[in-house]
Amino acid sequence: MHDIDDLERRGVPGVFVASDTFTDAAALQADALGLDVASVFVAHPIQDRTDDEMAALADEAIDALVSALTGS
Amino acid sequence: MVRMLEGTTRSADEVVALAPPNLAECTVEKVAVNAVMAGCRPEYLPVVLAALEAVCTDEFNMHGVLATTMSVGPVLVVNGPIAAEIGMNSGINALGHGNRANSTIGRAVQLVLRNVGGGAPGGIDRATLGHVGKQGFCFAEDEAGSPWDSLAGERGFGSGQNTVTAFCGEGPSLVMDQLSRSPESLTRSLAASLRSTVSPRIVMGMDAMLVLSPEHMSRFRDAGWDRTRFLAELAEHLMFDTDRIIAGADGIEEGLPVALAGHRLPKFRPGGLLVVHAGGPAGLFSAIIGGWKNGPGGSDPVTREITP
Amino acid sequence: MNTHEGTTVLDPTAEQRPATRERTARPASLSGLTVGLLDISKPRGDVFLDRVEEQLTTLGATVARYAKPTFTKPAPADLRHEIAIQCDAVIEALAD
Repeated sequence: MHDIDDLERRGVPGVFVASDTFTDAAALQADALGLDVASVFVAHPIQDRTDDEMAALADEAIDALVSALTGS
Repeated sequence: MVRMLEGTTRSADEVVALAPPNLAECTVEKVAVNAVMAGCRPEYLPVVLAALEAVCTDEFNMHGVLATTMSVGPVLVVNGPIAAEIGMNSGINALGHGNRANSTIGRAVQLVLRNVGGGAPGGIDRATLGHVGKQGFCFAEDEAGSPWDSLAGERGFGSGQNTVTAFCGEGPSLVMDQLSRSPESLTRSLAASLRSTVSPRIVMGMDAMLVLSPEHMSRFRDAGWDRTRFLAELAEHLMFDTDRIIAGADGIEEGLPVALAGHRLPKFRPGGLLVVHAGGPAGLFSAIIGGWKNGPGGSDPVTREITP
Repeated sequence: MNTHEGTTVLDPTAEQRPATRERTARPASLSGLTVGLLDISKPRGDVFLDRVEEQLTTLGATVARYAKPTFTKPAPADLRHEIAIQCDAVIEALAD
């Protein structure tokens, strides 16, 4: 999130993707940074997923990612 | 508070470090406030300041140590005359409770990271389980009773220098060996326990600290083994046939990538096992403190000189 | 620091309140833009980003891939600079 915060300062719209166990941590970090960093959360867990499961998570997230970057 | 600040010659407004995760400017005064809350005496303050300097380095990577779900935190080892001067314990129950300096120095460091840095447990600190040493984990090495050079000496500091070494570690785990009378047997026995540090399926990616007790150390002293000999003999028993620990071996899915089959690899990277001498005079037990991911992507041990 | 009836209360925190900033302006669409995909280098994130790349390409965006050396630290300044000059938007993934 520090990276997205920095890139937003440089004028690049950004979004951060994390698993949904990090929802509250992301909110706390955003408060500390002073920027409501755009975030999209996907279903935990990640580490033991198959490739197909990872692709399905990406498919589910794509609309939210696009709208986080376009504001639409 | 005024008395606490008299524990150091550094000025109250001097910035000691940028405290992660918020990279907040941490002044001597802020450290002192937290040291009072932790229960430190003023003479401990220089140790707390040096410990903070050590953990707030890129090498130690305190931000990563906080954010990881692994159950690790700073383990602080004090070397040099200051340990005795401020009444630190390196003997009976050295890794435990009951000594004010041991109990409060690490606690002060944790409070600074939490209050000044913003790294509160459940917030940025994501440890799945954590460990009780995250309340504060600090002890002194028993240098006077050791036949070997100290941890700080091993890391390039002189015997008269006061230092604190920060290692990113778990809670200590006991190694029992009450029967080995030869250094060869004890070395094999210690290696057997060290092989399962963090996970018996992981090699080289994580360091460890071995706290040798005086009675265990006497086996090596009596046989004339120095640290170099000990580490060399130990390393021979810490080699793994990767076929035994790749993913899927023995019906266990955790393990090294299958592509690494057919190799022999050491449990620890070169220099990845830190050895410290501490503990009470009786008891054929030592302790292993497992580490976290090492190297530039994780945390490397950092030693800082303690200045007045 | 607060002083009350002769007692001084010291604050153990950093006493910093960051200035609140707005997100930078968003484009109306990603079509024709370059979107950077920043892999934080945690296992499995690359597979996720491979699929995101396919989807973005379908939407008419150009994708540029980046990876930071380790997920445990912020990306190096030169990498952030590179992304800033090469990309119109960025997606960072995947923390778990």
